[in-house]
Amino acid sequence: MKLRILLADDHEIVRRGLCALLQKHEGWEVCGEASDGREAVEMAKRLKPDVVIVDIGMPHLNGLDTTRQLLQHDPQFKVIVLTITDSDQIIREALDAGARGFVLKSDAARDLVSAVEALQSKRMFFTPRVNDLVLAGFLEKGHAISRNEPPNLPTLTAREREVTQLLAEGKSSKEVATVLNLSTKTVETHRSNIMRKLSLHSIRDLVVYAIKNNIIQIQMPPQIQRPTETTVA
Amino acid sequence: MAVRILLVDDHPIVRQGLRTLLEGRPGWEVVGEASDGIEALDKVESLQPDVVVLDITMPRMNGLEACRLIQQQPNASGLEVLVVTQHDSPQMMREALDAGARGYVVKSNAARDLLEAVEAVSQHRVFTAMARGPQASC
Repeated sequence: MKLRILLADDHEIVRRGLCALLQKHEGWEVCGEASDGREAVEMAKRLKPDVVIVDIGMPHLNGLDTTRQLLQHDPQFKVIVLTITDSDQIIREALDAGARGFVLKSDAARDLVSAVEALQSKRMFFTPRVNDLVLAGFLEKGHAISRNEPPNLPTLTAREREVTQLLAEGKSSKEVATVLNLSTKTVETHRSNIMRKLSLHSIRDLVVYAIKNNIIQIQMPPQIQRPTETTVA
Repeated sequence: MAVRILLVDDHPIVRQGLRTLLEGRPGWEVVGEASDGIEALDKVESLQPDVVVLDITMPRMNGLEACRLIQQQPNASGLEVLVVTQHDSPQMMREALDAGARGYVVKSNAARDLLEAVEAVSQHRVFTAMARGPQASC
């Protein structure tokens, strides 16, 4: 019986690359593709894949919250997180969310097959940096990085995190209501609660909070330097 | 008409996705890949492609700088650069065109726009596309 894999990444070009990579492996099939976290959760519930590969930086519902929702629905889901960065905070959040694999996007062509193979064999797969962090945590605290440690966002419910992401992406309360199938009034109540709990005063504050806490991710453009700006010493 | 294409992106998985799309087109050939701007300059010189598909955010040398330097290479006449980037920004598009790119496609739309864009720039026509649109699957 084939191992069934669900892919979730907002860039189709990346999904095509992942498909090409994974489908070379005999006995594996990509059973579905999702372009955001919400779609991934819906598809996973329907398709019941053996492995779910989720990008962290997805619109509507980021990969970390996608992982949380998947495992809340069914703790048997095996999730590999794809990320562009392996900062300590991202690693901790991915582990806390319950990911069993952690692969850098830049290394996906090299590591992803090994990661899926590990999960297929009921093992975990992490980058060397994650392993170092887990080991350091174990040595320092007498236990591995704990899933019982206080999460970074202790005061927000799962729904509030979803609303936070959508607002930080620039959606209005009405648009958020449409996406989440809620009334605008309910969304506005969530919005007020979020602002109060986090002591935020503006949408700008909310966006900064969302970026700092990996609810949304941004990539800075390169330093633009025109040739005419170059000075000769 | 045969089109020789060089792919430049620091993520191998993105290059694989681009290759999968482009190799389906009869007469088009992906002649090489590079993972940053410096490697791209070397490959342009040695492979002499017709079109360079170029990411912007890369280590060592970014795509804008590479684009400027590619234009200055002696064997670059007739070569066109198509920028494929995740920066969905009019300012960045202007920077890319100012740097000498003939086309600009946003990565989130690449599966939709890439073939049309390569076709256009290979015929020395400008192609730019930024708005989000529907996406197909593999």
